Amino acid sequence: MPPSNFNKWATLPDPTPAELARAAAGDVEAFKTIVERYKGMVYSVAYNVLGNHTDAEDAAQEAFLRCYRKLPQYRSEAAFSTWLFRLALTASVDYQRRERRRPEPVEAPDIAGDEPELGDGISAAMLTAALRDLPDDYRVPTVLRDIYGLPYQEIADITARPLGTVKVMVHRGRASLRLRLQAERES
Amino acid sequence: MDCSYFGSRLNLYVDGELGYLEVAELQGHLSFCPDCAAELARLSEVRGALAAWGEVELAPPPGFAERIAAAAAQEARPGQATVGRVVGGALEALDDALGRIPLPGGRTVPVKNVLGYGIAATAVIIQVERFLRRTRELKPL
Repeated sequence: MPPSNFNKWATLPDPTPAELARAAAGDVEAFKTIVERYKGMVYSVAYNVLGNHTDAEDAAQEAFLRCYRKLPQYRSEAAFSTWLFRLALTASVDYQRRERRRPEPVEAPDIAGDEPELGDGISAAMLTAALRDLPDDYRVPTVLRDIYGLPYQEIADITARPLGTVKVMVHRGRASLRLRLQAERES
Repeated sequence: MDCSYFGSRLNLYVDGELGYLEVAELQGHLSFCPDCAAELARLSEVRGALAAWGEVELAPPPGFAERIAAAAAQEARPGQATVGRVVGGALEALDDALGRIPLPGGRTVPVKNVLGYGIAATAVIIQVERFLRRTRELKPL
């Protein structure tokens, strides 16, 4: 079942069986066509989980390489975009657990399109800065829950944390974000 | 029960994790407590902003796809394609060429699967028929 905040990505057209077959057989050009189509989705997931460009690029690359290796096992029961979305999420969380995040100056991500409407007085730069400032333990489950709408049990499975711990971390993440956004608006 | 009790339940409320009676109890409190109602509004605002952010597409750095293709090319050097990859790719190509047969309920089944089951069933029938013939031939007079 796709996550609840998946509407935008679910509308991306799936690769044709012939494209998938060529990529699965090792045709790099066919695989690159798939990367071009889904790079925005995979990179966005990695950036939101990791909070900086350098780590996001590494994790997104890892997600695509996992996709490349697993293409022969992909079965079309699930939409390709859903399958790849899950790969991107798990690759990003694995990366976060394995690597120490690089300290980078806070900079707003490069949005592909118009500035989004996020609510009264909340800009993309404010939200991403507030997310980035959260400790990893709070940010990752909060991103998975409130940005991507995953059920708590699935977050517990992906992050390998107890269910109760995950809930507490999401609650604290939300509280911390609320305070940071409020302080930002008042400053 | 005071605001600290209800305040601690707001997250469970927005997550839909409270029971019917607990929801009624909390909504009763919210109807006359402006502080808790404002707290709920702020929590909902943060969740709304995060949900909206989830649909925003971020642009990867220039040359991103090319770097991934280069990394993939290193994994698939000529002669190193696995048997599973080749067979899987060939089956998918066959699937693409033959299409699918619609079933009741909107489901479909690949033609190649039907052909595969047919070939397997034919092989089983031939083996059974051979076994029966041999048994008849060996039967003592």
